[in-house]
Amino acid sequence: MSGRRVALKAIDWLAFAERVPSNQRVMFNALKTRTDAISAKLASLPETPPAIDWSYYRSAVAKAGLVDEFEKKFKALQIPEPVDTQTSKINAQEVEANKSALDFVEKSKVRVVEYEKELEKFKNMIPFDQMTIEDLNEAFPETKLDKVKYPYWPHKPIANL
Amino acid sequence: MLSRLQAISVKVTDPFVSLSLVQASRSLQTSSQRLAPVPPLPDHGGKVRHGLIPEELFEFLYPKTGVTGPYMLGTGLIVYLLSKELYVINHETIYAICIGTIIVYGVKKYGATVAAFIDSINEEKVAKAQAAKDSHISFLTEAIENEKKEQWRVEGRGMLFDAKRNNVAMLLETNYRERQHMVTNEVKRRLDYQIALQHLNRRLQQEHMINWVEKNVISSITPQQEKESIAKCIADLKVLAKTTQAKAAA
Repeated sequence: MSGRRVALKAIDWLAFAERVPSNQRVMFNALKTRTDAISAKLASLPETPPAIDWSYYRSAVAKAGLVDEFEKKFKALQIPEPVDTQTSKINAQEVEANKSALDFVEKSKVRVVEYEKELEKFKNMIPFDQMTIEDLNEAFPETKLDKVKYPYWPHKPIANL
Repeated sequence: MLSRLQAISVKVTDPFVSLSLVQASRSLQTSSQRLAPVPPLPDHGGKVRHGLIPEELFEFLYPKTGVTGPYMLGTGLIVYLLSKELYVINHETIYAICIGTIIVYGVKKYGATVAAFIDSINEEKVAKAQAAKDSHISFLTEAIENEKKEQWRVEGRGMLFDAKRNNVAMLLETNYRERQHMVTNEVKRRLDYQIALQHLNRRLQQEHMINWVEKNVISSITPQQEKESIAKCIADLKVLAKTTQAKAAA
């Protein structure tokens, strides 16, 4: 009969929305609407039901003891709190998500290192007007002409000119 | 050593081409070890005097012989060659002079534009390569930024689970309240039903009693009493009719 006060964590939906990437926006919107519906439903229900006026019923109902019996049983009734089956699943999901997130961050960092290395190489490259062909071949290996495979000028298939 | 020789040979064999040539200031880097990036091409070709003779000769002879040195050298050489008939003047000399003049004139007049044109062709190639390089650099920087952004995004994953847990908690609370309300409502309904039942019983009893009383009263009216009451009613009616007639006439 006593109401439970659940500690609801306040969620900053704006900050949350910022972090959602564009390809998951639909799911985010669905989640938000669901949450809003649930919280609206919760807000519409008063915390405790209105009390029953036992004295009125005692005077009105002629059957002896009926009201008393009802009152006794009613007061003794314990409404079981609904069992929480999902929180453990959610926690498990969270652990998994954390793991995969760390994984992703690791990979992302590796990628960033790669990109930065390439960026360094490009930034430190000598400008084109000071390069020789050898320098060009060093910097961009794909420009190297294969003089062994194509011994005659232009050292590449004519279709590639 | 070999590269030095090549450098010197480059210097000496280019008296006729005056513009856009690789001057001796740029040594050929043919060794496999590169020491430094090759310096850029100079903007202008080496200076020449009279379109033919590189300025370096004049510079070289200036300390010893002054300004007129190279001219004296040139004149002397030519006179010697001619007088000793080491160089024989024939028709080809005339050709050489004419063609030489034309070449020098042509190069002096149009050399710059042609060089600019050729340079522009080269510039295009370099610009294309540069554009490709720039776009690649910008792509890389963007990619790095995107990765950082995605990392930041990932940090917000806790909020999703908070939202989910909140939802679950709200649902549970809603359910609990609904149950409470349901219990109260049901009990109320039962009690109200009892009361309504009582009311109904009472009403039925009352009606039944009334009907029974009426029936008894009606059956207890004897025919004698009925006749008397009817006669009385008629008499009353007559009196009433008289009074209303009097009223209407008045």
